[in-house]
Amino acid sequence: MSEFKIVGKPIPRHDAWSKVTGDLKYADDFSLPGMLFAKVLRSKYPAAKIISINIHKAEQLKGVQAILTAKDVLHNETVTKFGQSTEVGKGFEGLYRVLADKEVRFMGEAVALVAADTEEIAEEALDLIVVEYEPLPGVFDPVEAMKPGAYLVGENGTNIIGEFGCGQGDIEKGFAKAEVIIKDTYKVPFVDHAYLETEGGIAWIDDYGVINIRVGSQVIEHFRDVADVLGLPHNKVRYIGTMMGGGFGGKEDITVETYLALLTWKTKKPVRLVYTREESILSHSKRHPFIMKYKVGAKKDGKLVALDAELVADAGAYPYLSPWVTLYATVNAAGPYCIPNVRVKSCCVLTNNTFTSANRGFGAPQPNFAYESIMDELSHKLNVDSLEIRRINCLTTGKALSTTGQVFKTHVALPEVAEKAWAALGEPVECKEENRKIGRGLAIGLMSYGRMTFLHDSSRSYVRLESDGSVLIRSGIPDLGGGQVSLLCQIVAEELGIPMSRIKIYYSDTALTPLAGTTTATRQTYMSGNATLKAAREIRKRVINKAAEMLNVNPEKLDIINEKILVNYDQSKYLPLVKVIKACNTAGIELFCEAQFNAPFTITPDLLNIRGMTFPDFTFGAQAVEVAVDTETGQIEVLKLVTCYDVGKAINPLSVEGQMEGGSIYGMGYALIEEVIMEKGITMTPSFAEYIIPTAVDVPDVKAILVESGGGLGPYGAKGIGEPSCSIIAPAILNAIYDAVGVRIKSLPASPEKIIRALKKDYFEK
Amino acid sequence: MSTNTKILTQEFEYFAPKTLEETLGLLCKYKDKNTKILAGGTDLLVKMKTINLNVDYLINIKDISELNFINTDGGLKIGAAVPLSHIERVGKVKEKYPALYEGIKSMAAIAIRNMATIPGNICNASPAGDTIPPLIVYSAELKLVSKRGERTVQVEDFITGVGKTIIKADELVTQVNIPEINNNSGSAFSKKSRVKADIAKINLAIWLERDGNFCKYCKIVLGSVFIKAVRAKKAEDLLREQIVNDDLFIKVAKKASEEIKPIDDVRSIAEYRTDLAQVMVEDSLKLAWGRAGGEL
Repeated sequence: MSEFKIVGKPIPRHDAWSKVTGDLKYADDFSLPGMLFAKVLRSKYPAAKIISINIHKAEQLKGVQAILTAKDVLHNETVTKFGQSTEVGKGFEGLYRVLADKEVRFMGEAVALVAADTEEIAEEALDLIVVEYEPLPGVFDPVEAMKPGAYLVGENGTNIIGEFGCGQGDIEKGFAKAEVIIKDTYKVPFVDHAYLETEGGIAWIDDYGVINIRVGSQVIEHFRDVADVLGLPHNKVRYIGTMMGGGFGGKEDITVETYLALLTWKTKKPVRLVYTREESILSHSKRHPFIMKYKVGAKKDGKLVALDAELVADAGAYPYLSPWVTLYATVNAAGPYCIPNVRVKSCCVLTNNTFTSANRGFGAPQPNFAYESIMDELSHKLNVDSLEIRRINCLTTGKALSTTGQVFKTHVALPEVAEKAWAALGEPVECKEENRKIGRGLAIGLMSYGRMTFLHDSSRSYVRLESDGSVLIRSGIPDLGGGQVSLLCQIVAEELGIPMSRIKIYYSDTALTPLAGTTTATRQTYMSGNATLKAAREIRKRVINKAAEMLNVNPEKLDIINEKILVNYDQSKYLPLVKVIKACNTAGIELFCEAQFNAPFTITPDLLNIRGMTFPDFTFGAQAVEVAVDTETGQIEVLKLVTCYDVGKAINPLSVEGQMEGGSIYGMGYALIEEVIMEKGITMTPSFAEYIIPTAVDVPDVKAILVESGGGLGPYGAKGIGEPSCSIIAPAILNAIYDAVGVRIKSLPASPEKIIRALKKDYFEK
Repeated sequence: MSTNTKILTQEFEYFAPKTLEETLGLLCKYKDKNTKILAGGTDLLVKMKTINLNVDYLINIKDISELNFINTDGGLKIGAAVPLSHIERVGKVKEKYPALYEGIKSMAAIAIRNMATIPGNICNASPAGDTIPPLIVYSAELKLVSKRGERTVQVEDFITGVGKTIIKADELVTQVNIPEINNNSGSAFSKKSRVKADIAKINLAIWLERDGNFCKYCKIVLGSVFIKAVRAKKAEDLLREQIVNDDLFIKVAKKASEEIKPIDDVRSIAEYRTDLAQVMVEDSLKLAWGRAGGEL
């Protein structure tokens, strides 16, 4: 094929205008005649027995159409699934409880559902439901929860719901060889996804008795789980996914869908449920707090010889994706480094905090903060500069991951990305103010794209070339706002030589579009990109073969450009695409194709000793920052922020830059500001007045450097970037703070309060 | 804890009077009920949604032309319905009352400032209100009007605690009066918060009058460090009628930080607020002194 025509070009997404003009209908922008409004009654306590629930008064309220509690749910307890159709064993599937029954495990847990004629009536009905609780002591610290005799959150004899381990070499011998050893403990907090669009949707029963759920979800395959709860055949529940105003993992678990299905099934009327912001912060999943004990040993020249890491993750009140996230963290724990002796042990523990689950980065940002902080400590202790210590230790193509031994057969752009990011900082900003100190920090990292290989992941996509030369695509792909849908159009436009405007795509519908799998795990460019490429290429081949026959030339000499089939790129010698399509139709040649792409398949590993391939591939990146820290107020200003990733191939550079910039700011909030504060299970930051995120005025210019090695497993050599893009920035910023003022903050966020306290401690110690 | 459901579930009667007289009549009539004035609503509506603030009668004063004025002759007189974004665009505010200008500019986002008003900020009586320290240092007074008559009260005396003021149920704040400022005086506002558009961890305003290298008079007011914005009177005493130099500013700032009684809350911690107060007072003293034409 010739040069790219559309792939690699910074083009506006096919749906950009409809978003700008407001024409696009999100989950909340939809209603149906006779629609009811739903509300959720939530637990007032983080841990309590439910003695009784009295709905009598609420039922009497005029306009109330249904009130449901646990006893009304046919299968109130099922198993957490996330679109996987493979049996992955007990370690990864936990209890999914629709409504609290007999007990509540966290504050904000759903206890009852109301559907009423108006939102006001539904709200009033909530106040009339009387729930008698008997508060229980609960446990709120994962370390306490692990101890023998601790309060038990669940029904099993222990709060530990997942234990993982991996490593290589001999840790004792490794440390014996070390000339310098550093030990430290790092902590990261709960954070919220804080998407623009809260969880919401509308459900109704169609003419065929099928429950339709129009919802913003990252996993439309949850239709099966919803059907299981209601005891319906899977084909009687249909998800229609909407464009989303952000997902970030928070719409990977079931949110409103089961409630909607139950209420619409009960009332036989359309039902709408949209969470308020406060409800969203209170009751949906959070990023896992981790306590990470690290110990590294190195030679005097900086060469790493041993790493020992112990990770404890707070799973909150229910398992959801906690074991998966913990596995990610375990595999990522030694970072992108070659270390001969490694031991990683990790676990996730139930507490009576709000449950934790997927959040952009999925277990990669937490250990990245720990290992890149300790690498920086090492660099200062040994007086080896930040870039050099990474250069001499980093993975390169052909080397193996130090935790699991997975060999990198694809391109590893290290230390290239680190060198580029560091160099892009340029000359330091001059600062004459005595109290304003300038500092720089570097961090590198890796994160997988594509799901864990033992999930046997696949994606399907359908492409049809119409007789007028327009194209129809059908893909189950959910679009979170990252441009996932538009990407597929671009691939088809490239392969079939037509403009983007000639393509219509139907997406995210479990009844009508081939299932493309979840928009999670940074997998869609890789998985659905490849499935769509496969389908488009199949059609392309058929068209080209027919044209070759018509022109009596070798098919290899043909290409489709601008809806013309050219011979040897000669603009004067061509067949119009439409003419060839007609010939194909006459000859009965199929100009449609549904293709499936399969990721590499492996067996479920021994979780306590994970070896070999667990992910298809990884994305490597580096971030460099320059900060100014005020030594009197502790205020931090990020002056320069560079993000450099090997993205393999940027299919749409605008979208890739968007992910890299957005990811940097997402991670900057994590580094400096964001924290869902929980005191004994009670959320102290219940709204955006307390839970603070950076806004436009707080954000520095982000310099995004795209390295395109072509070495990825996605279409045209692309790698995934969505989640890796936010996973490295926190330590880069904290390392810069250390460089500026000499204090090392070991728990996020690095607030001015922590910096001043550390500076004062330093001052008094000296 | 209750959540913001985005809807007002409570029933209330809503008025949008066109005249002051009409408004005072309503206030008099409903003085024994839960009656609230809606000026911008940026605090009131949130409270009605989230903390179940009970309101039986809501009176919107936005459309009363008598309350929609800014008069810059001899000081500043600002009507109660004027949004903050209008005030910040008045040249004299920026030029002569920089602490007020900076205080307003530091508040939230433009969408909020397009709605919010100064009397609203004062009557809300949050310890962290950003217009309050500037108004106190400029000796601003409020005109309170009712059917019974009118009175003027210093902003400093108006607020008594968190959400508490001396206003009577039938009274309306109709305007804010800020006296003219001497040319040899200078003022400054300072605020620290978690992100730029945020409630203050601590805010403060300073105003001082210069006579050569003497500080003739000064006011130092800090917010978000006590149940209401407070004057650091001992610190003011240290500075008043003294020859100004760096060392004195350091002492004054230290004293101010000792006078406040901050707490730990979700935005910050007491220890940090105390440290920060000292730094901010010192910096703001220097800035205000410079604006007064003083040198160090």
